[in-house]
Amino acid sequence: MRGGRISAAAGILAAVATAACTNNPYPDRDAELPILYVAFREAPKTLDPAKAYTTVATQFNGNIYDRLLEYHFLKRPYTLIPALAAEVPSAVPLPDGRVAYDFELRPDLLFQDDPCFALGGDGRATRQVTAQDVVFQLQRVADPALASPVITAFGNIEGLLGFFERLGALREEDPGLAELPIRDQYARAGPIEGLVVEGDTRLRVILSAPYPQILYWFAMPFSAPVPWEAIDYYDGQEGRPHFADHPVGTGPYKMTYYDKQARVVLEANPNWYGVRHPEWKAPGATYPSEGMPEDAELGRLDPELVGQPLPFIQRIDFRREKESIPRFNKFLQGYYDMSRIIKESFDSVIHEDDLSPAMRAMGVRLETLVEPSVFYIGFNMEDDVVGAGGGARSRKLRQAMSLTIDSAEFVKLFYNGRGVPAQSPLPPGIFGYDPEYRNPYRQVDLERAAALLVEAGYPGGLDPATGKPLSLTFDTMDTSARGALVDQYLVDRWRLIGIDVQVAATNYNQFQEKVRKGAYQIFEWGWIADYPDPENFMFLLWSEMRRSRNEGPNSANFSDPRFDALFVKMKSRDNDAERLRLIREMRALLEEERPWIETFHREDYVLFHGWLRGVKPTGLSFPTVKYRKLDLALRESRRVEWNEPITWPAYGLAAVAVAVVLPGVFTFFRERQ
Amino acid sequence: MLAYVVRRIAYGVVVVAGVLLLLFVLFFAVTDPNDIARRALGDKVPPDVIEQWKANHGYDKPLWPWQAADNLLFDHFRRMVTFDFGRSDADDAPIVDRIRRGIGPSLVLSVPMFAAGLLLGVVLALFVAFFRETYIDAAGVFVCVLAMSISILLYIIGAQYVVAKLLHWFPISGFDPAPDVVARFLAMPVLVGVLTGFGGDVRFYRTVFVEETSRDYVRTARAKGCGEGRIMLWHVLKNGMIPILTRVVLAIPFLFTGSLLLESFFGIPGLGSITVDAINGNDFSTLRTMVFIFSLLFVVGQIAVDVSYSLVDPRVRLE
Repeated sequence: MRGGRISAAAGILAAVATAACTNNPYPDRDAELPILYVAFREAPKTLDPAKAYTTVATQFNGNIYDRLLEYHFLKRPYTLIPALAAEVPSAVPLPDGRVAYDFELRPDLLFQDDPCFALGGDGRATRQVTAQDVVFQLQRVADPALASPVITAFGNIEGLLGFFERLGALREEDPGLAELPIRDQYARAGPIEGLVVEGDTRLRVILSAPYPQILYWFAMPFSAPVPWEAIDYYDGQEGRPHFADHPVGTGPYKMTYYDKQARVVLEANPNWYGVRHPEWKAPGATYPSEGMPEDAELGRLDPELVGQPLPFIQRIDFRREKESIPRFNKFLQGYYDMSRIIKESFDSVIHEDDLSPAMRAMGVRLETLVEPSVFYIGFNMEDDVVGAGGGARSRKLRQAMSLTIDSAEFVKLFYNGRGVPAQSPLPPGIFGYDPEYRNPYRQVDLERAAALLVEAGYPGGLDPATGKPLSLTFDTMDTSARGALVDQYLVDRWRLIGIDVQVAATNYNQFQEKVRKGAYQIFEWGWIADYPDPENFMFLLWSEMRRSRNEGPNSANFSDPRFDALFVKMKSRDNDAERLRLIREMRALLEEERPWIETFHREDYVLFHGWLRGVKPTGLSFPTVKYRKLDLALRESRRVEWNEPITWPAYGLAAVAVAVVLPGVFTFFRERQ
Repeated sequence: MLAYVVRRIAYGVVVVAGVLLLLFVLFFAVTDPNDIARRALGDKVPPDVIEQWKANHGYDKPLWPWQAADNLLFDHFRRMVTFDFGRSDADDAPIVDRIRRGIGPSLVLSVPMFAAGLLLGVVLALFVAFFRETYIDAAGVFVCVLAMSISILLYIIGAQYVVAKLLHWFPISGFDPAPDVVARFLAMPVLVGVLTGFGGDVRFYRTVFVEETSRDYVRTARAKGCGEGRIMLWHVLKNGMIPILTRVVLAIPFLFTGSLLLESFFGIPGLGSITVDAINGNDFSTLRTMVFIFSLLFVVGQIAVDVSYSLVDPRVRLE
């Protein structure tokens, strides 16, 4: 009888344990809901659109804050389309070399519902978006207290930098000013001359000089309309969060849960113009009917998608995953809908540049995209040995060193082949990129390198002053074991032509200090585009951007009047034949001067499950979730199939434990008897 | 006893002050405010913005008192002493809010782990002590030493691979405080936490219990006809409680601080995870707060152990 009760209890326990055993990280009730599950690694520092400049913040903000303009989902090269604005404005020339852009906002735009709007009148849950809200946000970008990272770009707007200075000075003169409501503070600092509001929906943006790239900045959340009520209300007092943690926008989604250390949830925003006015068939609120030829082949232009009102997905559930292996395993279990490939699993996922049979059997799909980025080894052009001061001798040395680095091998060894060898600073997809171009100094040619060293006065890599191999220093910020391997590879390559390069691995700050003092010769760096324009790459070599003078991003301190003249002509032009000619001239100059050894353009590999559609990697940081669609039945059936708990090992383990212990117990008691 | 406690508190203040000073020196020896600002703002920001950020966070002040009266070291101590923890260097979030959010996940992990570890440790120790000098005892030693010898990282990775990936028993990582799913996220970290701790606990408790079983009162109880089970569960367990209590009381304050590795690897957003993030992100203001709290709790735990000794054992007098 007693044994029967024990057996029954054990049976019930086993049944409960089996039922409770599940690796599903989501509540069972969510299985049938159109929820997209996305992992994020780093907690965003801030969601304030005036400050947030990271990919992870854009992942959230981009869906919450609609901009005046946005990028076409499918077309490449990247093309701007209207979003909150009715049209993409054209430049209007003004006297004194100034330029204006006239934005006309769509009528009847609303902010998302939020308690902050009660500040504008009892019972109000939302209000209309006006051009003044865009101006207010640009004033915030110019607010010194916010330390916005993009003030330089928006500083092209006439009077914006003056506003920055006036507001800073006023706050210093009168510390009490900071206690006033933010709109009153801005009013005291006076208007920004280059932002002229006409009525509720018309905004004229005046630039003090031509800067066509400004339109790209209006496709980023920095310039999205923000309601003043949100700034006043979300002040961190009386249990209210700070505005940086509580976005209030106009986009297709609104935030409903925010614990940035663990989970963020966005829900479809019923106030979004795409939901309220599907009849407008606005380009940013309708699945596009045009794209690139491969889009049709890859099912991105299926009739089931084309012309449909957006968004398809009602909820986005972001879960924080700090470790890459668990994150990727959850993708393989079907709990994340898409993923990047982690280094550790690359060989099991990719076979001969395509998906492995195991991945294909799971219905996983692969998208690759060369990002608008460039990674390079740079020379400090102000150094006596490798820099411009050495004249032809140094130039030939740089050319020789460039001829030794095998980018294809480098990418294969250290990036699983995920990259395209670079021939110039411009990556694929950017105007001016030429797939046929082969930089003569970016091909591996050790014989020619040796000959150039002879011409440079370093025969066999020997420095005639010392009679020993020429000794150079390679400064790097990567102090990891992997970084040491990468550095060693480069050092070994240069050793092939007899040059002795010593690696000096330091942390970021020490490296910055060296850069400030000009105490460096060779370094490595990378750049990912803010916007798809050659100016955003070529300015990295403009003398105005020299790190030694202006602490700009030109870390090579390259300064060449010929290049500068070409750059200044190129930067403000439209993408025409003349601009292409200027870019080719700049490229030829860089080819010869070699301030950089361009190594590669990074390639992004994105995996997604067969139940997710409307996926196209962008390379640039702009959100595309609203274009995605889920097949829920397929997802649920695959999850069940892939994740059946295997319980027999538990019973086996328990049986072994009992089998080991029981004889001892019996023997013990028998002996005691 | 009061004088003893006051003296211990005074020592504790010195220890905490020393920890804070050491933290300040170490942190600013390996980094500087420019680095903190760069980490917070990213690589692309212009120098003016870096300067503004430093001014906003008070990092434009000189480090040491001999450089200026209004210095960073003074500010560091003032903030800690007044519990004005300020905002995170990484994201400007109020640190108090973050602690408030993190303490819940830390406790829901650490309390069951602590309770299950204690229960399992005591039960297994009683079991192997009961069967002392048999092969069950020897097997217990083997299993315990094995458990103690394996790194916690191996437990974590092994559990994630075998239990979660191959057997599909629990989620590989993550956390959701919703009552219907929280248990499935906690099962594996609790299991790993118990496994990593039970070896040492069982060995320690077994030693205590075996020592107790050789005492006169046990022989007397046995002579009076008391059963072995009752001797172990009633007499030995009760008398073995004093050393067990030491371990338990010392561990209790750290239930609040969370587990650095378990929280980090299993994605539980507790205080341990916040600390790891602060270390990785050069977030000095958060890190100093967490270290300050850890050191305070450590000092409190030490004093509590001493006081609890005297409370449960009248023979112990605090002078």
